[in-house]
Amino acid sequence: MNMRIACAPLAICMAMSGNQSLAQDLTGEIKIWSWNVAASAMETVGAEFMAANPGVKVVVEDLGNQGVYDRMLAGCAAGGNDLPDLMTVENHEAEIFWTQFPSCFADLNELGYTPEMQAIFPEFKRVELESNGASYAMPWDSGPVVMFYRRDIYAAGGVDPATIVTWADFIAAGARIQAASPGVTMSQADLNGDTDWFRMIANEQGCGYFSADGQSININAPGCVAALDALRSLYDAGLLRSASWDEKIQSNNASTVATQMFGGWYEGSIRTTSPEEQSGLWGMYLMPSVTADGGRAANLGGSSLAMSGSSDNKEAAFAFLKFALATDKGQITMLRDYGLVPSLLSSANDPFTAEGQPFWGDQPVWQLVLGTLPAIKPSHGTPYFGDADAVFRAVQLSYLNGGYPDAKAALDDAAQQIELVTGLPLAQ
Amino acid sequence: MRRKTGTAYGFLSPYLLVFAIFWIWPIFYSFWLSFLNTRQPPYTFRPDMTWGRLFQDAAFLNAMKNTFIVLLVQVPLMIALATLMAVLLNSRLLKARGLMRFAFFAPVVVGEVAYAAVFRLMFTAERGVVNKTLESIGLPQVDWFSNPTAAMAVLMMAVTWRWAGYNAILILSGLQSIPDDVYEAATLDRVSPVRQFFHITLPLLKPVILFCIILSIIGTMQLFSEPFLITNRGGPAGATETLGLFLYRQGFTSLNFGYASAIAYTIAAIAVAIAGLNLLFGREKA
Repeated sequence: MNMRIACAPLAICMAMSGNQSLAQDLTGEIKIWSWNVAASAMETVGAEFMAANPGVKVVVEDLGNQGVYDRMLAGCAAGGNDLPDLMTVENHEAEIFWTQFPSCFADLNELGYTPEMQAIFPEFKRVELESNGASYAMPWDSGPVVMFYRRDIYAAGGVDPATIVTWADFIAAGARIQAASPGVTMSQADLNGDTDWFRMIANEQGCGYFSADGQSININAPGCVAALDALRSLYDAGLLRSASWDEKIQSNNASTVATQMFGGWYEGSIRTTSPEEQSGLWGMYLMPSVTADGGRAANLGGSSLAMSGSSDNKEAAFAFLKFALATDKGQITMLRDYGLVPSLLSSANDPFTAEGQPFWGDQPVWQLVLGTLPAIKPSHGTPYFGDADAVFRAVQLSYLNGGYPDAKAALDDAAQQIELVTGLPLAQ
Repeated sequence: MRRKTGTAYGFLSPYLLVFAIFWIWPIFYSFWLSFLNTRQPPYTFRPDMTWGRLFQDAAFLNAMKNTFIVLLVQVPLMIALATLMAVLLNSRLLKARGLMRFAFFAPVVVGEVAYAAVFRLMFTAERGVVNKTLESIGLPQVDWFSNPTAAMAVLMMAVTWRWAGYNAILILSGLQSIPDDVYEAATLDRVSPVRQFFHITLPLLKPVILFCIILSIIGTMQLFSEPFLITNRGGPAGATETLGLFLYRQGFTSLNFGYASAIAYTIAAIAVAIAGLNLLFGREKA
């Protein structure tokens, strides 16, 4: 405690000295592990950083999503051997690393990640990155959930998306849309392989697998029951068909689906995989809620950057973190070029977000997406996310096929199974 | 004598040292781990979190069920198919026998990842060659990877494709060790070829077939690559998750080494039980 108080003024000075200190003789190589489009974004920002800091070389290795996870695990299990300076971690599976291998990662607080600096990121992104007074990673991108819809298909059904406020509205609209356009499905969810629809609606309702402090199981709380009820109504109404990631893209391209619900990062997937003639036909609106005055914001996915404890170039690596993630410039570059939605709260005020996007019918979609950031409620992934998710995936499929009398019974069963698997108590 | 033994052990010691570090130690250590709660350090003695969890865990029971379904459905089918293939390959009417034998054996040579990728492509919902073929002959398309039964069927077809030929070659060697005069005598006695197959060929092949079954059982207990690669980590929703995959998920995705150790010991125990049954069969025959 005393140590932290003593360090605080120094840290504040370091943070306040800002860009001038960035250019000061930083040297060495910063190696980063990432995947796909995120790796490309790191390369672009890395080139800008190298231009500002000629003594530093930024090397990005694209190992694929699973590759980064597996090699981080192997490196940490081997006591921090063979790890790069910075590693990309997905928030919901990040805590398993801090819990099992706390000494594998550098505590960013000791490098100048002050409380003031932490506050420039929303709480929901930080809750999984901080543990026992240490900060193990800095938030990168996020996945504010929105509805991606086809303007032409909605118009054919006579539906104005502005009138869709609740899930009941969505169901009524879906019936009209499907009646007007035979062969079109209102929406799709990966009900066999994923739980994302449930997690998005539950997060919107302030519920998650675990309690806010991550110490108990919360999946059978009223918010989650409401979420599963909403999912069931959509499914029973025939408005939500099962489709994997690839099948959704095929349906988008074939114009056989009217709406997709995803994190904001899905923007890039639609824009880059859709045929040219669909330009201008897509739009976005806020996700519906359970009640007319309920919250309409949730998060799905998003990553952060962690620094290995064995990095021999922590100072330069931290300078890079600040440059890439804690400045509007770095974050907006990645948003513009790669569709990575910033976690940084101030980036919502950047002039770029107010620009209409041609592909989206000149709608200023980034304003809509980033506008939901402050309203997103934290949801603790905990080290047990994978276990809980596997349990719920099976329960969800069984419930939709009539395996339980109601949503509460299904979630009570899921809660008990998660209790067995994790040893955590049920929330009172 | 004693001195000689000492010298022999001296020469063996480099190997024994490696064996002790990389085999004996992990075996004992994982047994000890199987009683610990390894969810977070420091590890604590909590056998109820590992052994106690095992038979209450729906996911473990599901993985065991899936493994036994493969054992009871795929293994007998594959062995029957392999026997039939062996008999056909042994036929005097067959031309280019060497080439044929190689062709049936070839799937084992193909890398697991490569053949898994091809199977995945073939069964893809909208563009896969299997669904296109079904459609062209007027049958409904099957959603191979989202339907639990269909996914299990794909898994079994893939494993059968890969290993049936291998077993056929083993059985063929058994067939060739049956003396021709047995058949000649039977033919002289006017025994029909079908009866010859059931009353001469099969009984004489029994040891080889039993050997193939044991090999296949061991292979099934270890089944991992196919459900990992073809049905996307045991999907949909665990419908093709095998014991091997479940062990991997607990150990290397959930980082729950204690529970994973308990599972590993359970799989080993099942394998020992099956080997014991094999011994029992062998005795009955003698």
